[in-house]
Amino acid sequence: MKNKAVEFKNFYYAYNGDELALKNINFGIREGSFTVLLGPSGAGKTTLCKAMAGIIPYYYGGRYAGSVEVLGEDTKGRRVSDIAMKLGLMLEDYESQLVSLTAGEEVSFSLLNHGFPPEEVAERTRKALEDVGLPGRENYQMDELSGGQRQRLLLASVLAVRPRVIVLDEPVSAMDPEGAVSLYKLLYKLYQKYGMTVVVVEHNLDFVLPYITDMIVLQDGQIKAAGCFEEAAEKAYADRELRHLLPALWQVRLELEQREGIRLGSWRNIGEAISELKEKFGRVGL
Amino acid sequence: MKEQETLEKEVELIELPPAKDTHRWVAITALLLAIGVILHTISPNIGGVTPNWTIAMYSITIGLTNPSFPQALGIGFVAGLTLVPSSKSAFPLGNIASELTGAMVAALVVKSMLRMGLANFRFRPYLTGFLATMASGSVFTFILKLILNLPLHVYIYAMLPVVATVAVLNGFITQVLFAPAQKLFFIQGGRKK
Repeated sequence: MKNKAVEFKNFYYAYNGDELALKNINFGIREGSFTVLLGPSGAGKTTLCKAMAGIIPYYYGGRYAGSVEVLGEDTKGRRVSDIAMKLGLMLEDYESQLVSLTAGEEVSFSLLNHGFPPEEVAERTRKALEDVGLPGRENYQMDELSGGQRQRLLLASVLAVRPRVIVLDEPVSAMDPEGAVSLYKLLYKLYQKYGMTVVVVEHNLDFVLPYITDMIVLQDGQIKAAGCFEEAAEKAYADRELRHLLPALWQVRLELEQREGIRLGSWRNIGEAISELKEKFGRVGL
Repeated sequence: MKEQETLEKEVELIELPPAKDTHRWVAITALLLAIGVILHTISPNIGGVTPNWTIAMYSITIGLTNPSFPQALGIGFVAGLTLVPSSKSAFPLGNIASELTGAMVAALVVKSMLRMGLANFRFRPYLTGFLATMASGSVFTFILKLILNLPLHVYIYAMLPVVATVAVLNGFITQVLFAPAQKLFFIQGGRKK
């Protein structure tokens, strides 16, 4: 059995003066998984991401119960900056996380704050920019980079710290479909290259379908399903309020399974779906 | 809602205040003092009186962050340094002594009012700006009186009234700018999503 990258145990949380945003959260994210966090707006997905990074409850304050462990260590009593060495967080409003004038300064900012020696900072910065497809852009001003490039720059600054877990909150919400596909391709490449754990909050699962290994479904601050993608998708499909959140291809797959009483493969792209449907239904005359 | 209340009763929740920033006061001080220097350079002289933006800015900073006395000394020292290069007075270094005093008085006013439970007193920024300017101006003009060997009545009847006028003006500026600065810097507290 694989170790848990992040583990929530009986976790509850309420913002100051507000009602519970997360209720009785119990689940673990497998180390080395590509996990998607799914749920309707206001389900508590961003709050859950912040709880993984220790920002909640230890920075924002509020009321809480239970615990969150990152790579086996309780986030309680640990500094957010220390947790960031193990778990990198990229928030939806990525522009607000950019603090420097040039790309190089941006990537090296957190490294310098963590006290890395200058030679290592320069080397890690170069490598991180190269990894995200921005090689040699150290001296580029922020306004010389496009929105997509700035987002990849932020990814580089998270990667430069070399965390074992990376959490991205709706990373493509402001991107066009091509940009979204390209960012997820890049993310998957890095996921494979470094063997890290990736957790993504995403509304449009069509973009990430080829890469998902695990899924967590959240609704009204409660976990509705968690585990391997196939099982969690089936559970979500059983709930009329959640099924529309699944990838279009899987809505078709699960509907067909239900209607025809058959089992279909774990489709990850349209090609796989077509070839299996041809094989199965071609013979029965459909 | 009922379900919420039942759940909260069943689970023992630990209440946690938001984390106290250890360095935010430095950022706020730097930014507001920089704004103060710019305004100090461009603001016109009205009837012989110019508001002292620097004092207003550190009064806001001190009101927002409630720094310790050593921190307030640091704020005053940096504020004084920013005024030295552009000072046209007979003794520019006097600014350092006067701003050290002003910042200490501002810190004293803020701490006293917080201790008296007057944290939400509406005119707290005005009082801080006014008293800090009075203290700073009195020290600065007194240094000038000593250096220029001016008679005491000139200090009392000519210099101090000008200080008081600037103090009234500064109190007003501090009061007006305090709320926007507070909004800008203290957005922490969490947002539901």
